[in-house]
Amino acid sequence: MERACININELINVFSNNQGTIYQSDKLNCFYIDFGGKFARFNCLALQKLKNAVESIDIEALLLNTHKADFELVTFNGCEHIYLLSALEIIALKDLLQGTFTMFKLNHMISDCLHRLVY
Amino acid sequence: MKDLMRIKCLISEEIETLLNQQIKKEAHSSSLYLSMSSWCDQNGFDFSADYFLKQSEEERIHQLKLFKYVLDMGGNAISPEVSNIKTDFAGFREVFEDALEAEIAITQSFKNIAAKCHKEQDFVTMEFLNWFLKEQREEEYKARRALELFDVIGEEGTGRWEIDKHVNKITYSEQ
Repeated sequence: MERACININELINVFSNNQGTIYQSDKLNCFYIDFGGKFARFNCLALQKLKNAVESIDIEALLLNTHKADFELVTFNGCEHIYLLSALEIIALKDLLQGTFTMFKLNHMISDCLHRLVY
Repeated sequence: MKDLMRIKCLISEEIETLLNQQIKKEAHSSSLYLSMSSWCDQNGFDFSADYFLKQSEEERIHQLKLFKYVLDMGGNAISPEVSNIKTDFAGFREVFEDALEAEIAITQSFKNIAAKCHKEQDFVTMEFLNWFLKEQREEEYKARRALELFDVIGEEGTGRWEIDKHVNKITYSEQ
């Protein structure tokens, strides 16, 4: 639904892995996560919260617990989206988010060098 | 590509995490001092009870100062959960030994954040931390001086009563 309203050419691919992609919209100052067949919009704070939520999942415990299905609901308070993910998908989403935040840091360094620092 | 995360927040994720941990430590210290105040009051050390009550309030102010800074910089300040506060002490001296140990831990924690700020070249947070680093000089001095009174005055006879009377008078001056 959300994908239909967005011109994909206006989005910047921040980071991709073989399971999904995270885009940034400079026009709307937000991010889009294309993952697990879902295309969802997040603002800065929500993206950080999602990353924290995914990183706090104990994947080892999830796999070793025989009384529970190997699925986990990923969401947080105030989040408009909800993900039901398997252990492998959690690993992939974690990788996607960590890669994205590394790209943010890289972009920050480049922005500093090119635009902010005057030598 | 816009640097959206930096536009939103001045401090890095790592510094934000460290500052939130420090908020929790300050809250823990505040509760610990309150617990010490309670113990002192119940055991007849009224001046020390007042001293620890004031210390507790100071720690709370430190906590709020950090809290406000994280929010003002665009970060997510987390209201901490405080648990495992020691409520019983073996004796009057142990209360002050624990107080000094708590202050040393706080100083060490600030040094770690300062080291991270230097590494990241976050001089804005570093400048903010300078106030706390200076404050720790006073905090440690007062805790160390209080403990010193146990050796100078001695605990025998009316010693503890004398120590209690002097604890509240400890002040720190740079000059």
